[in-house]
Amino acid sequence: MAGFLVRNFLQRLVLLVIVSVMAHALVHLAPGEPNEVDPSNPRMKAEDVAKLRAAFHLDEPLYLQYAYWVRDLFTGELKSFKDSQPVLPKIWERFLNSLPLFIGATLIVWTLSFPTGIHAAVRRGSYYDRGSTFVAYALISIPGFFLSYLVILWVVDTFGVPVIGMRTFGMEDAPLLHRGMDYLWHLTVPSLMSAVAGIAILSRYVRSQMLEVVGQDYVRTARAKGLDEDTVVYRHALRNALLPFVTMFGLMLPELIGGSVIFEQIFAWPGIGRLSYDAILARDYPVVLTVNLIAAVLTLAGTLISDILYAVVDPRIRLT
Amino acid sequence: MNTLRSTAEPTSGRAPDVSPQSPWRLFWQVLRRDRLAMGGLAVLAVLAVLALGGKTLTEWAVVFDPAAVRLIDKFRSPLAEASPLLSEADRPPGGIYLLGTDELGRDVFARMLQGAFVSLSIGFVAVGISMAVGIVLGGLAGYYGEVRLGFITLDTLIMRFTEAMLCFPTLFLILVVVVLLPPSIYNIMIVIGLTRWMGTARFVRAEFLSLREQDFVVAARALGLPAWRIMFVHMVPNAMAPVLVTATIGVASAILTESALSFLGFGVQPPFATWGNILADGRAYIFDAPWLFFIPGLAIFVVVLAFNLLGEGMREALNPKLRTRR
Amino acid sequence: MRTKRLLILTPLALIAALLQSYYWVPTYEDQAGAGGQRLHKFIEASSGDAKILNPALNADTASSRIVDRLFDGLLDLDENLALRPRLASAWEITEQAYLLAVPGAPGDGAPAWDDAQTLADELERAIRTGEIEVPPDLLREVEVLAPHTRRVEVPASGETPALPLEVRVPARLRFSLARVDQDFFTRLAPVLGEGYAERVDYGAWHEPLAPGARAAASAAIAAEVPVFEHNPEILFELRRGVRFHDGHEFDSGDVAFTYRAIMAPRNLSPRTSDFEPIKQVEPLGPYRVRVVYKRLFSPAIMAWAMGILPEHLLNEAALATEMDARGIVGEARESFGLRDSNFNRAPVGTGAFRFVEWQSDELIHLRRNPDYWDGPPLYAEYFYRIIPDALTREVEFRTGAVDSYTPEPYQVARYSEDRRYRAFSSIRTGYTYIGYNTRRALLADPRVRRALGMAIDVEQIIDYLIYGEGERVTGPYPKTTAWYAEDVTPLPYDPPGALRVLERLGWQRNADGWLEKDGRVFEFNLITNNGNQSRRAILSIAQDAWKRIGVKCNTQVFEWAVFLKDFVNPGDFDAVVLGWSMGVDPDLYQLWHSSQSGPNQLNFVGYRNARADLLIERIRREYDHARQVEAARQLHRLIAEDQPYTFLYAPRTTQIMDRKIVMVAEDGSFEPLRATRSGDLLYFLNRWRKLDHEPDF
Repeated sequence: MAGFLVRNFLQRLVLLVIVSVMAHALVHLAPGEPNEVDPSNPRMKAEDVAKLRAAFHLDEPLYLQYAYWVRDLFTGELKSFKDSQPVLPKIWERFLNSLPLFIGATLIVWTLSFPTGIHAAVRRGSYYDRGSTFVAYALISIPGFFLSYLVILWVVDTFGVPVIGMRTFGMEDAPLLHRGMDYLWHLTVPSLMSAVAGIAILSRYVRSQMLEVVGQDYVRTARAKGLDEDTVVYRHALRNALLPFVTMFGLMLPELIGGSVIFEQIFAWPGIGRLSYDAILARDYPVVLTVNLIAAVLTLAGTLISDILYAVVDPRIRLT
Repeated sequence: MNTLRSTAEPTSGRAPDVSPQSPWRLFWQVLRRDRLAMGGLAVLAVLAVLALGGKTLTEWAVVFDPAAVRLIDKFRSPLAEASPLLSEADRPPGGIYLLGTDELGRDVFARMLQGAFVSLSIGFVAVGISMAVGIVLGGLAGYYGEVRLGFITLDTLIMRFTEAMLCFPTLFLILVVVVLLPPSIYNIMIVIGLTRWMGTARFVRAEFLSLREQDFVVAARALGLPAWRIMFVHMVPNAMAPVLVTATIGVASAILTESALSFLGFGVQPPFATWGNILADGRAYIFDAPWLFFIPGLAIFVVVLAFNLLGEGMREALNPKLRTRR
Repeated sequence: MRTKRLLILTPLALIAALLQSYYWVPTYEDQAGAGGQRLHKFIEASSGDAKILNPALNADTASSRIVDRLFDGLLDLDENLALRPRLASAWEITEQAYLLAVPGAPGDGAPAWDDAQTLADELERAIRTGEIEVPPDLLREVEVLAPHTRRVEVPASGETPALPLEVRVPARLRFSLARVDQDFFTRLAPVLGEGYAERVDYGAWHEPLAPGARAAASAAIAAEVPVFEHNPEILFELRRGVRFHDGHEFDSGDVAFTYRAIMAPRNLSPRTSDFEPIKQVEPLGPYRVRVVYKRLFSPAIMAWAMGILPEHLLNEAALATEMDARGIVGEARESFGLRDSNFNRAPVGTGAFRFVEWQSDELIHLRRNPDYWDGPPLYAEYFYRIIPDALTREVEFRTGAVDSYTPEPYQVARYSEDRRYRAFSSIRTGYTYIGYNTRRALLADPRVRRALGMAIDVEQIIDYLIYGEGERVTGPYPKTTAWYAEDVTPLPYDPPGALRVLERLGWQRNADGWLEKDGRVFEFNLITNNGNQSRRAILSIAQDAWKRIGVKCNTQVFEWAVFLKDFVNPGDFDAVVLGWSMGVDPDLYQLWHSSQSGPNQLNFVGYRNARADLLIERIRREYDHARQVEAARQLHRLIAEDQPYTFLYAPRTTQIMDRKIVMVAEDGSFEPLRATRSGDLLYFLNRWRKLDHEPDF
């Protein structure tokens, strides 16, 4: 086990370096300049542009730029081109904004998918099953921003309450409870929207896992023993069907930082997705590369965790 | 779904484990009973006709000109008549805008027709690319996995590369590449294709690993058949069925990805109309010309749904465990 | 079955918990009514966040919008685009003109003189007798400056390395002028004689040098000590008793500090070029500042519209304290500058509003400055919300959660018909154009460019593309300024005429209907940047229009960065659809002067016209408004004649406001809002307030 961990850890570390080098090369090879060195700004002369380029190390060879980036990242000196703010606190601030959205959406996805998926599997072929199949696929098939607009317009027109942003304006002096609930409401709609596709996919997955398991011998045995259907399904079948889902917890990790640009854009939510989208557009290399690195770390950590979890819950698998 | 059938039939003929009842026929029988999937198939058949007809009528024999700008007739609602001031050459066929006009007075029906072909080809080509890359890399890793290149095996090399690709957030990758390449329709296809092959590669590798040990492959190898023949003639068709399911659903999500890219302003550029960019451009006019938003939105919804339902039906029909219980 | 119940109840409970929060949220109507609180807040929405809240460093519109609320400049432009005093209560522009007394031979017919004093006497005599015409109130004083020695750095050239040179500068005359006069030395010509400047021998000023180095040395000295030197001066009287938001009093030290901060190389200020013409900024006591300029540059005074920074919060000592507090040590301390200070995220100025908080990409919150020297604003709070999506921005406006909205042209008509809103339309100081790469043989002929322009129906573009939200322009100046020559007529829309022009130039329609000459089809690429709807539409319209006269135009849209780097900056394009947003000063040097047509420069169409160059140089040296106007209009006519651009239109901006927002007049009565000539609606923000009912007008 320890050997497995060490070896895997080292392998992933190497992979991480490769990924960061690839990302660095990709970003710097892309045409365009950081917005700050914008020669089309009539206020800037060639000397000013040259000064900025030098300050951003843009004229050094690529490997040196990479070295600067790594050095600054580890000394905490890495600053955004855009506003000279240190990159890590900047990302952390946005991460804290995205986190509730992520937790909200995940909770909705995971709690809602299981009952609907199990139910569909148990009643395979029924109207409920086919109906839910259809609804699930309908939900995955709507472009996310199309649905969001429809919902926003509907809520605003019908209920007359704000849904955009993180809070309602003019509630600065309201009691904490009011403000908390207001925040919760502003969280609800975007998390529902970003959960929609997830619910559909996960509930389909739950359903197919349940169907796999329901066909197994031990479930048939349990039935033959005369146990009632609920006990068979929820005690015997569900427990085994759950196995692969445990590993999915690890795989969810990278979504923490992925954020959804589209939903954050529509709902004016100042999350990490928008930060990186704006950074890509503005060629704010330090931010782009750092977000990407964190995402890669989370992905690799996620797969590692999921491997370990799998071994923990499934005794047939041994890590060597 | 002509394309599917035409690829399906010849492979079934060559597939080495032809049982008395061909698995493809069985598959079809099961699929035919799935009403949702058949609905999807019907929608796609209609779409195929529309796309081909659209391509013909908007590009080869121009009946509907999607690029004609008629500023006088901007924001006409669906079924509105064209302004009498227009010159004869500029009038839409029958003098009626079936689906209205957009902010430049272009005929939305013509643009939707043209977009049908473009959107579909984006879906198919993107998926084709990702399948090709995935099958080749996955196949190589699965078949030649043990070949050593210096200090690592080919398998390790390919799979580590796959993992490295998975480490990039998809959107990051797409945006960077879109920025890297000039925004042409082909590049959008390539970008979407190149950012989604990783799943297929892993999956094909696993499939190959198990197929490699099966009797018919061992026999073929014993006969001294060349490796490429074993791989492409004997192994690929056997790993094909699930790949087709992935591909079908992949087309659906490629169309959605294109519309999301359009939303962010990185989609296919004019003069090509896609449903994605008609929708993304149309959202600005939702209060003034709602049809510009709802028509492409619903069209995307229906087509993507059709692909998804068909894919789901195929998955069910291909799953022997599920099938026998029916 | 417990598991089953749990599985079903959890999601239900979760959804219920989420949805119940709806009952705690005030509806839009409640917000508008809630104790009148909302009436005292002004909420603006923007698509992008500010970058850096520091007047010396910001370069984006969002930041400058906030910075304008927080900081005051020494002066600004009033509603009629005339200068208006702010932190400076008054100023006077004078000039010190320096004349090198070239010793030696007299000129043709000019009297002989031996030293500087004789020259001065001679000039005084000539002025007295009227031999030299100098307006009576212009010359205040003539002074002889003794010769002196100074070090001049000679830059490396060719094989000779850079060297510092000891230079003996001969005596000079200093003329104190009551106002700036770019022709002053020309007036002295009768005494100085022809070719006065050529007679100077810089080589005699220093130790003998190798012949190779001599030319470089002379050039370096001539740049530093020219024969004729104009030094305009501005003397600012500062307003007394103005306090920064933290209570510290504003004085001349802050003005001088702001200048130093901008010029310090480590601060990487984008305003350096505005302040570069300044020779020195010299405080004369706490309430007076003298600014001396190196040369004639009439737009220079506008640089002082920039906000003044508080010295006590940003000088070396203050930054050192900040670094200590933030634990910055070692190498990072060396490079720590204005850009790195936390001041940029929590600025302190003298403006009408005080900074409260800034949540990145969400909002910026300001509060009224009750001690504002020009009277506190009526609004208690100012919010700047960031809503990136255009549709949701509109939704927020319609529901009343945002106070002002800039609609797209096609929405303007709908809003202005609505009783609840009031629309303010003002023409922008910019314009949209199709620019032709004049270096391309195909497009080098002005007649061809005229013909291309005549094929495009600009009126139709204005009417239908931007719904009348724009005005046709014929030249490079903003229509609202005096520089714009109203007498230039726009190109007629005349496709047959355009075709005739091209046919006269030898282009004939071929079998496919394209124009052809010497076996080459008239074909070029028209490109623009991604993200601008109307530019994209113009692309399609131009393509369509040119197709009708047989010109084959291929269109492409590129992402902004790519567009600049691969096409515009290297000058590698045929034609572009673009827009400029202009300042209100008449200086067009960077856009049109032939010296500015290299790679990465703004005259990317490669416009070259010697007459235009002369006019451009003259305009930036002219301090007399009337003469400046005349020269600018001439320049306008010249450029309109050459048609390097097909000038299309100056867009209007329309702001939509709730009708309940009114302006409070001096006497307390209400009047409708109005904008300045440059279209700035927020100019009067301090006098706005929101009523709880709709006013009668």
